[in-house]
Amino acid sequence: MFTFTPQNLQKIEALKSRYPSPNALALPLLWMVQEQEGTISLEAMEAAAPFCDLPPIELYRIATFYTMFKLAPTGRHHIQLCKTLSCALCGKAEILAHLQERLGIGVGEMTPDGRFSLEQVECLGSCGTAPVMQINDVNFENLTPKKIDEILKALS
Amino acid sequence: MRDARIVSRRFELPQSHTLEVARAHGAYTRLSEAFDKTPSELIEIIDQSGLRGKGGGGAGAGEKWKLMLPHDPRPKYLAVNCDESEPGTFKDRQIITKDPHLLIEGIILTCYAIGARAAYIYIRGEYRAHQQILQAAIDEAEAAGLLHVKGAPLLITVHRGAGAYICGEKSALLESMEGKRGHPRLKPKQKECEWYFGNPTLVNNVETIASVPFILYEGAAAYRSFGTEKSPGTLLFALSGHVQRPGVYEAEFGTSMMAYIEHFGGGIRKGKKLKAVIPGGASTAVLTAQEALEACLDYESMQSLYSALGTGGMIVMDEDTDMVLALKNLLEFYRHESCGQCTPCREGTGLADTLLSRVLEGHGNTGDIDKLLELASTMDGQTICVFAPAVAIVIRGFLLKFRSEFEARMHA
Amino acid sequence: MIEIFVNDQSLHVNEGVLLIEALIQNRIDIPYFCYHEALGMDGNCRMCMVGIEGQKRPQIACDTIVKAGMRVHTTGERIEDVRRRILELELVNHPVDCPICDQAGECKLQDFYMDYGLYDSAVSKGEKVHGAKHVDLGANVMLDQERCVLCARCTRFTCNITKTHELGIIGRGDHARISTMPGRKLSNPYAMNVVDLCPVGALTSKDFRFAQRVWFLSSTPSVCHSCAKGCNIFIDHNAPKYQKERIYRFRPRRNDAVNGHFICDAGRLSYKSLNDHRLTCNNPDAMDRAKALIQAAHNIALLVDANLYCEQLDALVAFAQRIGAQLYCPNQCYYDEGFGDEWLRRPWRAANLAHINTLGITQSTPSEAHDLIISFNHPDLSSLTCKHKIAFSTHEGVEADVVLALRSWAEEAGTLINITA
Repeated sequence: MFTFTPQNLQKIEALKSRYPSPNALALPLLWMVQEQEGTISLEAMEAAAPFCDLPPIELYRIATFYTMFKLAPTGRHHIQLCKTLSCALCGKAEILAHLQERLGIGVGEMTPDGRFSLEQVECLGSCGTAPVMQINDVNFENLTPKKIDEILKALS
Repeated sequence: MRDARIVSRRFELPQSHTLEVARAHGAYTRLSEAFDKTPSELIEIIDQSGLRGKGGGGAGAGEKWKLMLPHDPRPKYLAVNCDESEPGTFKDRQIITKDPHLLIEGIILTCYAIGARAAYIYIRGEYRAHQQILQAAIDEAEAAGLLHVKGAPLLITVHRGAGAYICGEKSALLESMEGKRGHPRLKPKQKECEWYFGNPTLVNNVETIASVPFILYEGAAAYRSFGTEKSPGTLLFALSGHVQRPGVYEAEFGTSMMAYIEHFGGGIRKGKKLKAVIPGGASTAVLTAQEALEACLDYESMQSLYSALGTGGMIVMDEDTDMVLALKNLLEFYRHESCGQCTPCREGTGLADTLLSRVLEGHGNTGDIDKLLELASTMDGQTICVFAPAVAIVIRGFLLKFRSEFEARMHA
Repeated sequence: MIEIFVNDQSLHVNEGVLLIEALIQNRIDIPYFCYHEALGMDGNCRMCMVGIEGQKRPQIACDTIVKAGMRVHTTGERIEDVRRRILELELVNHPVDCPICDQAGECKLQDFYMDYGLYDSAVSKGEKVHGAKHVDLGANVMLDQERCVLCARCTRFTCNITKTHELGIIGRGDHARISTMPGRKLSNPYAMNVVDLCPVGALTSKDFRFAQRVWFLSSTPSVCHSCAKGCNIFIDHNAPKYQKERIYRFRPRRNDAVNGHFICDAGRLSYKSLNDHRLTCNNPDAMDRAKALIQAAHNIALLVDANLYCEQLDALVAFAQRIGAQLYCPNQCYYDEGFGDEWLRRPWRAANLAHINTLGITQSTPSEAHDLIISFNHPDLSSLTCKHKIAFSTHEGVEADVVLALRSWAEEAGTLINITA
């Protein structure tokens, strides 16, 4: 059974007073679920729905619309490499090849030990420091194969 | 090149994001000057300044502010657009990380002018670290008792998106903030403000709001002393792609594009020749090197080149760039980001990507170029929002200006 | 009323209506998927493009309010070209397999293709986005995601009309699709209306699909007998070769004063009882035996079903007088409190109770003094005890001294008085 932590329940109450309608809490609630559980389960959507006064299907529709919401588990270190134009112009392909070789997985896959998963994403808004990737919430910019090695080493 | 730092004035200061540093360099010190004027006087100054929205559309800010009718009894809201998802654009994140107090001050002033007592900053989900800096600044300002409009408390809430380019479109942004999927709304037939849960709402880009303190304190004329007649002031232009020093650099409108690229960007990387520039984020028509030579960074110059200033985020491509791959890259982006609401966009973005895939796989024929151009015209002007028309612009730009590269990929 | 001009023809329309409504009401051809008179406009399909003088680009008629003097063009090369091209995009990911699609013959996509398309579809060569083909949504509704044009009619129905919120469009871009919440089903008493609402073959009725090609069906306007509401319906029927006439489905028939565009699922599926276990012929001596029983009886009760038409009931009143019988219509068997709701379903599950009331027919059980009961299809005959019974019945399985076949309500024409409250 999914339940929000007491801290999150407090946060929800505080947030409610900041919006004209509880519906506005849909995205904040899904973020809380994801931060609490790692992924967003159907059960959690059902449990969260009353807090924003929406039917569960609406939360499901939202969760499948916004790409950052995770409905399936990812690795502990979820690597999201930007694939859009500025990064592509600045050597994204080389970085991707290097990541795949080092991790031994392809795009959309997870290492067998569950530590890393790799995904390509659209523009991360860091075009001036291309190529970039995000590991969980942290940005890594101006990537080079050497830098990738250092980052992966630090995470091992 | 003349120093034209209005928004980025405090960017280089150490610890510029803290209240202490911002205040020591002028933040929040002149609020009472603005509060001494009436809201309508402030709106008039913004109107006079010719400030244009800096999120890509370039609509007159004063005109938009005037749509917030003062006598409307409903609560009014300000929504600050920090969705910043246009490829090649990364300027708002500079503001929220390097001078968040400038944005907060702009929000206070704007809310006073439009009669709002609550503001939301809609920030793209990927900007997690940047959001934390912004939130810390808001908390600091609140603790220091700064979050009020002439004594009335002002609520500033950061609302986190979750990965959807379309939420940068103002009505999709509001839908998202209302707890829905980011589907753009049908446009009203007459000019009116935006609506948040049925309440009058102003949506402005981060940089637009961050320009407000300077204009209200220094006056419209001071702002107009930068830029051109039709494009007054400055913009945080940005460079990415094949330049020596990519980054965000504020410059006044009217600056020559090549001079900007040379001066701030240090020219093209590795001594290569320029091939093309996408001038204002991915959704503006690509310019050839020849066009880039003529281009000035203002609305009228870009319009005369049948492109647009957009967000001012330039993507620079050198002579080795494969334009077919570059277009394919962008079409994948648009396919991924279409909200899927309107048929021409939902199916058109996918089809365009599929057609170009076929070309790249060696199955293309010359008819495919015309097919893509026809598709572009089907997508142009037939949808709820300007997403599909933007894709049409992108397709046409690449195909018409670099046609030979596409033809070289085709089997007769 | 204001005057507008469509294709240079003057039309007088109500002020403030949507242009598409004005066009539909005046029977001017306009293609559309997402607009529906009961659901309103949504603006997503972009098919209802028209030219409006003074506007640079074609506009969608569903997002245009009529204005006095407005000049509209629904035909012409430019408009038809725009429609043709948008329709072509609709087909990008839609299977082109009408011959095996159950919707063929009543599919808007197929109709519009015949009107505007008819091209060699260059788009079908590419790789299509695939979806699930046979999703059992529940409530007899099957979903084929590939055939869906994402008009959102079904989701707007469950969201705005039934407010049961089972269906939604999930995903994004060309991977968007209709779905329920995984593990949940479509389940509301009106769910099957989404099948009628679906303009294409994406939502089909498990009950009807592949039973019959729609062009073999005849439609007869009628009124549902499943409760006292009197929802207007079409009876779709056909006599397959060497077989008796069969009813294949009921569909709602629009009547804004009664049921609008919809009917309930119970009513919709009530056609089944009209096909099976029917009593169709009499024993040769049945009439004589009935006559003898009537002549021998001293105290006759005449039991009438509250589903009979007014004309039939009036005739039975006269008949009762003629033979000196007392009329009854015991009504408890029609009352089903759980069935009633705020919308179309009434707890009284008979179609003509209002006329029974008007005629002043006794609605309690006949007294035991009667030595003969003659029933005209009353459902509760078996629970009554009497020396002799004569049953006029539409169905088999009735116990009586004499049983005589009666035509069903679907086989008779007549008048009903409904109870709307």
